[in-house]
Amino acid sequence: MKECLIVGKTHAGKTMFALNFAHYLGVTNLEITFRHPSGLVGSKTYSISAARRELVGAAPHTTRALQSITLDLPVGKGSKRCLFTDTSGLVDHIHADVEIRRAIAQTLGAIREADLILHLIDAAAVGLQDAPSALGEVDYQVAQFAQMRTGYAMLANKMDLPGASVGLARLRQEFPGHTILPISALYKRGFREVKAFVQRYL
Amino acid sequence: MARRGERRPPVQVERISMLVEKGELAPPAALASFRQTGTPLAVSSTAGTDSPLEKALANLDRLVGLKEVKQLVHEIKAFIEIQQRRAQEGLATEPLTLHMIFKGNPGTGKTTVARILGCIFKELGVLSKGHLVEVERADLVGEYIGHTAQKTREQIRKALGGILFVDEAYSLARGGEKDFGKESIDCLVKAMEDHRDDLVLILAGYREEMDYFLQTNPGLRSRFPIRIDFPDYTLDELLEIAQIFLAERDYYLSVSAREELMRQLQVAHNLRHSGNARLVRNIIERAIRRQAVRLSGQKNLSRDQLMIIERVDLEGGAAA
Repeated sequence: MKECLIVGKTHAGKTMFALNFAHYLGVTNLEITFRHPSGLVGSKTYSISAARRELVGAAPHTTRALQSITLDLPVGKGSKRCLFTDTSGLVDHIHADVEIRRAIAQTLGAIREADLILHLIDAAAVGLQDAPSALGEVDYQVAQFAQMRTGYAMLANKMDLPGASVGLARLRQEFPGHTILPISALYKRGFREVKAFVQRYL
Repeated sequence: MARRGERRPPVQVERISMLVEKGELAPPAALASFRQTGTPLAVSSTAGTDSPLEKALANLDRLVGLKEVKQLVHEIKAFIEIQQRRAQEGLATEPLTLHMIFKGNPGTGKTTVARILGCIFKELGVLSKGHLVEVERADLVGEYIGHTAQKTREQIRKALGGILFVDEAYSLARGGEKDFGKESIDCLVKAMEDHRDDLVLILAGYREEMDYFLQTNPGLRSRFPIRIDFPDYTLDELLEIAQIFLAERDYYLSVSAREELMRQLQVAHNLRHSGNARLVRNIIERAIRRQAVRLSGQKNLSRDQLMIIERVDLEGGAAA
């Protein structure tokens, strides 16, 4: 089974995307496997709304573990399984909290091993300097690192917010040659393109 | 784009992750070093130091955990240096009594620390050779009257100029009045006094047994001013040991292999006397062999495939 990793800066909307994308593919009961940086593994089943309530937060660094869902995607006449893994958000600087640093180290390790990388960027915050999800050095590094492998797409998230289209234009300018798909994780917009992209690499 | 076909030094992936965890490397820099496969990042911390003393101290500091031990070694080093300076100035000096008791479970680093101490003492001029002679009861105790003294003296002779490390030393005192172990202890005590300036005696063993051993031999207690406790490693420390161990050998764990290792260590940790580094080494060495079996016969192996330890390689490792 291939692993599709959802990465990006903190507060870019990774968890919201993972949950809503699963919902978009017709999953209503999510069995989420949590892999904590300490090595502990647990699993819990949520309904979509409960998962959204518990796992999505307004504060940065809500996700502190690798959270995986197995999804079936139609490929040809059958379907293929894919492990969608949501990760802890990345930051540009050295974070003061050791727990968060540990989670980030785990994310970085996962980036090296993933088959497919979906890189979420907060399109509405591209131009902002002080937002935690603003475009930063780490985004450039992820893009450059992922360039060496095949399955990599940038998802410009929060396209429903004002100013996002300006951000998207800036992203296209900054990352020429990369696949950039505009989406809105909250309103499930642009998911068809994401699905098509993932299917291509399964 | 990365240049292909060029020989590069191995990537210390685990090392980079560790630096991120410790807060010594920012995530963008970590990704950059992943990308440039092989910028050696703080891999050889001893590379810049040339004197053997600094090398020995660096080796000691590299050991995971053992905070108390490290501090004590630095204290001893400072003490020796100052005593030597005082002697130069013609001031009264304390005689150096460096005989030690090491207490701790197997695999907590007693022998490793003893070996490093040998190097340090040699460089400081306390011992002439600084080698380590490791003995146990069977090497010291004889089978008939008079045999024990002979055997013990033989070991002491070998250890002169270095460290005589008696493992499971408490076993010398078991077996009651008629046991030859007592004779061996007497012989060791005499040698400690006779060769005070060119022999360091270290008695090592389990904590409870050593405490009992010292209680029942009050004469010994006063002769060993330095007593070091080697605590069991915590789960985190064991994992760190595993990562260092793998990084030194150019391997790294996949995310799920790390989980499996953690699980196995957790299981072992709950059993008494097994929270130790030797267990980690055994698990890892076995995993490395199993990875080799898994890969052998395959063609076109990538560099990453050769380096990565997968979960299947670790499964069943703790039982061995």
